[in-house]
Formats: sequence, C-alpha cells, structure tokens
Amino acid sequence: MKRKLAGIAALATASALVLAGCSSTPAEKASTDGKGKTITLWLAGSDTPDALRDYLKTEFTKETGATLKIQQQDWGDLVTKLTTALPDANNTPDVTEIGNTQSPTFTNVGAFLDISDMYKELGGSDLLQSFVDAGTVDGKNFTLPYYFGSRYVFYRKDVWQKAGITQPPTTLDEFNKDVATIAKAEPTLSGFYLGGQDWRDGISWIFANGGDIAKKKGDKWVATLDDPKTLTGLEQLQAIYKDASKAPNDAQDSNQYIYLNDDDEIPAAKEGDKATPVSLSAATIMAPSWAHWSIGVKGTGDDGKVTRTWDDNTFGVFALPGNDGNTAPVFAGGSNIGISATTKNPGLSKTLMKIIFSKKYQELLGKNGLGPANQKYVSSLGDDEFAKALIASASNSKLTPAAPGWASVEASKVLEEFFSKIAGAPDLTALAKQYDEKITPMLNAKN
Amino acid sequence: MAIDTLPATTPPRASGQLQRTDAPARRGRRRLTLTAWLLLVPSIVVLAAAMGYPLVWQIITSMQSFGLAQQFGKPAPFVGLENYAKLVTDPYMWTVVGRSVLFCLLTAAITMVVGVLMALLMKAVGRVVRVILQVSMLLAWAMPIVAAMTVWTWLFDWRRGVVNWLLTRMGLDFEGHNWLANPLSFFAVALIIVVWMSVPFVAFSIFAGLTQVPDEVLEAAQMDGASGWQRLRGIILPMVRPVIAIVMLLQIIWDLRVFTQIKMLQDRGSIASETNLLGTYIYQLGTGSSDFAMASAVSVFVLIITIALSWFYVRQMLKEGA
Amino acid sequence: MPARTRRTLLGVLGVVVALIWVFPVYWMVNSSMLPNAQLQLLTPTFLPFGGSFDNFTQVFAGGTFLPALGMSVTVALITVVVCLLFAFLAALAISRFRFRGRTAFVLAILLVQMLPAEGLFIAQYKMMAGLGLLNTVIGVSVIYIASVVPFTIWMLRGFVAGIPADLEEAAMVDGLSRTQAFMRITFPLLAPGLVASGVYAFLQAWNEFTVALVLLPDNASATLPLWLRGFIQASASKAIDWGQVMAASTLVAVPVIIFFLFVQGRMTSGLVSGAVKG
Repeated sequence: MKRKLAGIAALATASALVLAGCSSTPAEKASTDGKGKTITLWLAGSDTPDALRDYLKTEFTKETGATLKIQQQDWGDLVTKLTTALPDANNTPDVTEIGNTQSPTFTNVGAFLDISDMYKELGGSDLLQSFVDAGTVDGKNFTLPYYFGSRYVFYRKDVWQKAGITQPPTTLDEFNKDVATIAKAEPTLSGFYLGGQDWRDGISWIFANGGDIAKKKGDKWVATLDDPKTLTGLEQLQAIYKDASKAPNDAQDSNQYIYLNDDDEIPAAKEGDKATPVSLSAATIMAPSWAHWSIGVKGTGDDGKVTRTWDDNTFGVFALPGNDGNTAPVFAGGSNIGISATTKNPGLSKTLMKIIFSKKYQELLGKNGLGPANQKYVSSLGDDEFAKALIASASNSKLTPAAPGWASVEASKVLEEFFSKIAGAPDLTALAKQYDEKITPMLNAKN
Repeated sequence: MAIDTLPATTPPRASGQLQRTDAPARRGRRRLTLTAWLLLVPSIVVLAAAMGYPLVWQIITSMQSFGLAQQFGKPAPFVGLENYAKLVTDPYMWTVVGRSVLFCLLTAAITMVVGVLMALLMKAVGRVVRVILQVSMLLAWAMPIVAAMTVWTWLFDWRRGVVNWLLTRMGLDFEGHNWLANPLSFFAVALIIVVWMSVPFVAFSIFAGLTQVPDEVLEAAQMDGASGWQRLRGIILPMVRPVIAIVMLLQIIWDLRVFTQIKMLQDRGSIASETNLLGTYIYQLGTGSSDFAMASAVSVFVLIITIALSWFYVRQMLKEGA
Repeated sequence: MPARTRRTLLGVLGVVVALIWVFPVYWMVNSSMLPNAQLQLLTPTFLPFGGSFDNFTQVFAGGTFLPALGMSVTVALITVVVCLLFAFLAALAISRFRFRGRTAFVLAILLVQMLPAEGLFIAQYKMMAGLGLLNTVIGVSVIYIASVVPFTIWMLRGFVAGIPADLEEAAMVDGLSRTQAFMRITFPLLAPGLVASGVYAFLQAWNEFTVALVLLPDNASATLPLWLRGFIQASASKAIDWGQVMAASTLVAVPVIIFFLFVQGRMTSGLVSGAVKG
C-alpha cells in the first residue's frame, strides 16, 4: 500500500508561487440539473469501501439526475496520472482524491478549483485544520480533507504475556525496554518489527524526544538531524534496530501486519519444528489504523477468500506513548479531495462535494474506520479500542516540514537512506551531520 | 524446427546481390530513388507520428525551466544550455552514468558470452536435447516482464526466498539474508535477472547465424587438424560476426536504458540513491520531483552517451554494407 | 575423449542448463496451484501435489481479466501485422535499392532505438490527448509500432537481401505475374524473417507497461501488464496472496506461449532450412 502517510507540507513559502493564471471559474452554484451528464471521481487505492462508492453513485443520481463514474487509481501511479490528466480538460477527472503530502504540490500550480465559497457550507472550521491547510494557497481553499488515519501499535498479547509483560507500556522508555525484553525471550521473533527504511513510523521517536527533521531558521530551511534532541531519538532507534527488530534494513512501511499473523496453520506443520516454523515473526508492529482489517485469526469466507477475524485474546492495540504523559506524536495520514480546475462540470462537481461532506457520508466513513474530515462526526468511529487508539494517536499528529523542496526530499528517498544507516552507524552524530548537508539544499530548492 | 531460424542478419553474400540489383538502377536512377522512398513512407510516417513530436518536445523542454507549474499552463522560460551545465557539473550524475555504463557493459558482455555458449551448445547436442533447450529458452523469453520480476523478487525474498533456502541447505548461513540491501548484491541480482531475460534472444539469433556455417568447411578444417578452439576462432566466429555485431549493439542500447527491472527491484527494497541507473534516475527526476526539464536533459544526454558507446559498431556495420 | 562420451556429456549439460533456465517459469506455475498458506512456509514446496486451480478460479472471478486479455491481444496483433508490413516495405527499399538518403535513413532508425522512454510520457500523453486517442487501441498501437519498426527493418533487411532477385525475375519469365512471383517465390523465403520479427514485435507489445500506463488511464481499457500490476497492488493492500498473484502471472504468460506454439506450427513445414541455407 503506497499510502502517503507522511505529514503535510504546509504553505508558509507558497506566496512565492503566486498564481498568475489561476483559473478560478466564476463562482458557479452547485447544480442539481444534470440529466444525461456524467462526471468522474478518482479514488486512490481500495481504501474507500464499495458500500460507500455505491452510496455516492446512488445519492448523486438521486440529487442531480446525472451519472457518477468512479475510477480507482493505484497510489503508486496517482501522481503520474494527475500530472498528465488534470491540465487536460477533455480527460480530467472532475473530482479527485489526492494524498495529503501530494496536495500542496498540485494546489500550488493551480490544478484545483477555488472552492473557498463552499468552505463554510462543507464544514468550515469543523474540518480537520492541518488537512485544510494542506489544500490552502494564499487563504483560498482548493482541496479539503477527505479522511484521516493515524498510526498506532498493534501487538500480540500472547507473546507479550509469555515474555512476562502483562500491561501495555505507558511511556516510550518503557515501550523500548519491553520490546527488547521480548526479543530476548523469543530469539526468533522481532520484539518490535521496524523496517530499516521505515522513517514514517520511526520519526515518532524523534518527535517524542522533541526533535524534528528540519526547522526554519530565518527564511531558510535547515535539516536538524544533528540537533541534540533528534539525536536522543536516533539513539533509541538504534537500540531498537539492534536489540528488538529483525526487520531487514531496507524494509519500508508497508504490510507490516503480515508479520503479526499466524499464517501457516498447515495441518502437517508442527509447532517448534525448525524446518516448518509458523509465520508469526513479530510481537509488535506499528501500522496505519486500517491495518486492523488485515490482522486476526484466519478463516475462509463464503467466496473462498481468506478472512481475518480479530481476537481480543491474541491481539491488542495502543497508541504509542510518549515520555511526557501524552501520546508520542505520529505522522498524520489520510488524503484530501478537490475539484479539478479544468473540469467542464463545476456545478455537478460541487454537488458531489456536498454529498461527500454531508453528515450521512461522513458518518459512513467513520463507521468504516476512516477518520471523518468533519470533526463533529468523529464519534461515528465508535468507541472500540481501534477508535480510541486512532483518536488518541491522531490527537498528537504532526506534519512534514512545510519546506518548498519537500517533494524532492521524498522523491530522492534520502530519508529512507538515512534511516537504513542508523542501525550500523558507529557515530550517529557524524551520520546525522552528513545527511543534514544532503537534505538542507533540497529543502530550499524551488521547483 | 521453427526456432532454428529466429533472427538472422545479412548473409555474407548480400553485397553481391546488391550490385546485381543496382544494374537496372542505372536505367532510371531517379525513378528508383522515388520508388525506394515510397516504400519507406509508411515507416517514416509512423516513426514521425509517434516519435517526432515527443523527441522535439524533449529537446525543447531540456532547454527550458519546466516543472509542474509549466505543465499546468505557466509559460516556460527558455534557459538555453543551463540544464546541461547543471547536469555535467553534478557529481551524482556522473556516479549514475559511470554505474550505468559499467552495469550495461558487464551485463551485455555476460549476456553475449552466455548467449554464444548457449548457441554453440544447441548446435552441439542432439535433436531431443536441443528441443528441450529451445523450449526452456522460449518459456523464459515469453514470460511477461512484470510476471518475471514478481517471481524473481520472490525467489530472492529475504524471508521466504528459495535462493536463501537452497544456500542455507548447502551449509551457508543465508537465513534471512537480504540481497537487495547492499548495492553490490542488488546489482548482482539485477544482472542475473537481466541476463536471464536477454540470453534467449541472443542465443536464438546466434544459433540462426550458426546454421549458416557450412558443415563441409568445419569438417575440412577438422581433417586439417584444427582444434575445436581454432575452428571456433578461425571459422565460426568470423562467419557469425555480423549477427553478433547487431545483437551486441542492441544489448548495449537496451541494457543502458534498463528501467523496469531496476525499478521493480527498488520498490522491493534497497537504497534508491545507491542503486539508481539512468532509467530510474530520469524517472525520479520526471515523475518523482516533477523536474521535467532536467529529466529531458538527462534523456538527451543518455542518447548522446549511447551514440558514443555504439559509434564504433555502427560505423563498422554501415561499412559492411548496411 | 571419444566423440560418443562427449556428446552424452554435452547432452546432460544441455538438459541441466535448460532446467536452470526454466526454473523461474516452473516456480510461477507451481506456486499458482498452491494455497497461499503453503507458500508462506519457510520450507518451499517444490511440487504442486495436492494443489488445485482455486487460485485461477478466483482470479477469473474478478471479471477484469478477459477485457484486459482482449485489449492486449488486439494491440499485439495490430502491432505485429502493421509493423511487419511497414518494415518489409522499408527493408525492400534499403536492401534492393541504392539511393540518396539511404544511409541517413539507416542511421535515423538506429537513433530512434536509443532514446530513453522514461522522459517521454508527458509529450506522448499530450499528443494522444490532442488527437483524442487516449484509451484507444490505435493510440498505443502507433507508439508500439514505431518502437519495434526500426529493429524489424534491420532484421528483415538481411532476409530480403538474401533472396536472389533473379529468382523472382525467372519466375516472371515463366509466365507468373509480379504478384504471383512474389507470393510463390519471395514470400516463402521471407517467412522465417517475418516470424522472427513478428515474435519480437508481439513480445514488445505484450509486455509494454509505461506507455500503456500513460495512454490508457481508464481502467476499462487496461492491457494485461496494467491489469497484472493493478492486481498485485490490490492484493498488496491486503495481505498479499502470492498464490493468486502467481496464477495471474501465469495467465498473462499463457497466451504468449500459445502464440509461440502457433507460430512454430507454421514453421515446421520445412520452409525454414530452405530460406536460411538458400
């Protein structure tokens, strides 16, 4: 899953990119007359469940008489497709979802329609502010939050208990200690599986110790990996990589949950038989909230497909704790949604936006485990442990630096590279300095 | 047997025939030139249609400042050769160029050696074994690249890969070994995959060439006491040289711009900046950072490198009556 | 070493090499028949005993395979036919005529081969969008034809040059028309070249991914490589089901193998040796 879970590049320096030809169509009212017309909505990945898609289609036709065509785009291809299709009036999607880190890049170049006039109507200040910021240029709203997610900890209660730990940790230090203990007790397992390049999860250790990737000094952005507070976090990460995690040093932040499941319950395979060990290989992982649909006891559904049923005795979740009594800050995840600037159906597109931001749809999102954009409806997430962990971790979520060159930093994968070197670094300060020098110029590059 | 005759190139006697066909040309040179060009029209039209505009666009863009804003309609300022200047003074660019050229030459060389050996083996064995060999080559060749990469990355998977399993069984400690993390072993894996995919084409082409070597000549040489190696060097290789030349050229061209294999391996792991080749670097600049001007400049630069690398060959081939 | 022993040893070597080469293919087919749980074992299962075609059934159940197959077959066949026709004409020109601009043309088609494709997607998109050819068979086919035509011209050129022009003239003296002479004499001799080039063109069109991604943005017009990648990505967002992915990969490979077998059938009629040995 290529979800952009990183934070949001806000737009402090965006004024440099004042848009001359920003095509804001004369304010057109949401339309209800669309007989015979069709508009297209792009959704990224398979995160929006079919039931919600059907709801949108039906509701849209009911409201306008027009047809809604929903096309799913893979996260991995989304930027390529947006780059080519959005400027092209004949082939643009009318409305599209976009990763929250991708949003500023596109809003800055005028790819989206100005929907400031609808902002209040769609939820106004009830909408998740950091996501709204990611879609704002010069005080105008171009994209709005679609849903939010967060990362929290999934763990195997059975394995933790076997290692003698019965209570989830309440501080980060305790967490670090616990996972090392488990790794020691169960030498074949990762006490905590953290991919060597998984900076999107690992960053929480930097944040929790008060550090950051980059800060703005004067009017220049400077990478701050060698800041003493950042270094404290890096040292803790190094200890985890050495003592608790067996993840390869090039693993990234996808599919961690497969390491938490028992997958190999083959009748012939015997427990403890070294030739055919079961697949469980991590006692703890950190993953996006929606991963809980993929974790659980294996079964077979009516259609013959593998199903996963959550079992409270085996699995548990908690928000990663910090050392200050609060949760540790995590990267906000989720996506934004907006109307293409080149759409030929701005009226109908606005109607679709109204349906998406309606109470009914927002609550549907919540019921499916996706954090609703409108904070009034967060309660629809329910009050089970997932909802609690989601809300607790999201309450302290952070964004990626709002530097103009942030897209280049991500594209060059320099942070993946830096993280993969933490485990084996004899001198973390030197390593941090070396990568500060690489990242700082990228941060200030103007594209 | 169908496979026997896959790619063949200019038979040695081609030039003789050319002269014969030249005879009528004297009668109406102008008319024949016209006929020739008429025959070329369809190819030229389709090439111009598909490649003309993109090529021109690329050259123009490489001399502009062209990012995402320009893609969305902002006018693109002309910057002359600034992008190229930036490119040739960027040490990372040269690292990638060096790495790509090395990878390309090594892969092409190994592919050629293995391909030639494979062709010789096909010729040396009996009919049944030959068919077995050819079918296995065909299957490998026919495998779609996305499917092939999925299987290969899985074979080398650190956790469930067959390669690690086999090596561990052989008494080596490869349990949980990650092949993609270290750039050297990353490229070793990439090389194995690319060679595996390219050898069938090379082997079939050269085998087709080998079938043109008259058995009588070889027998005569053997009777004169020439050893196997001498026959190979003295008779066989010179006779299939035209085939080897064109196939080698194509390998160099293809291996220099290898993209899909590297990209899909990178998606599975490794450090991008240490494993980028020219193809993935262009992709990163263009699709990743939306710096389409630089991506275009690098593309044009790659074109120039390819011409430089293959110039010798091309001249040689043109001389030999292309 | 006696010749017999040598031959046996080489035969054994040949079989071993063949097995090594075909192993990844075998692995794909083998895995496609095993349940995912079995594939997750640390000890690989080398033979699909107790396997089933369940994975295939489930891949088909998705309902998107057949449309993608139709699209791929159409695009590949158009590419092969048009490319062979165009390339044959061009090969005729450069091997039978000496004319002004010939070298320039040969150089130009070599150059086209050398252009890296990764930087071209915006231009290709703009062009096809401008012509209204996005999501159409024609749009991708034109690009594919252009990318295989140069190599095909190179390949066919050797074959055309190898066919004595007198042969055709002699047949015409015997009373055949030019077309008849071509169909009966020249064409059969060209067949191996056409087959070789056709196989190459088919594989290129069948496998191509990047151009298809840009020019066929609508899922409904996806070709098989796009479909397969979509399938892998969709699978990856849940726990990845290797068995199904391998079944899907096998399904993409099978038509190519059928195409090969078909082409090979054409060739066993003995045309081959004649043409090459002249």
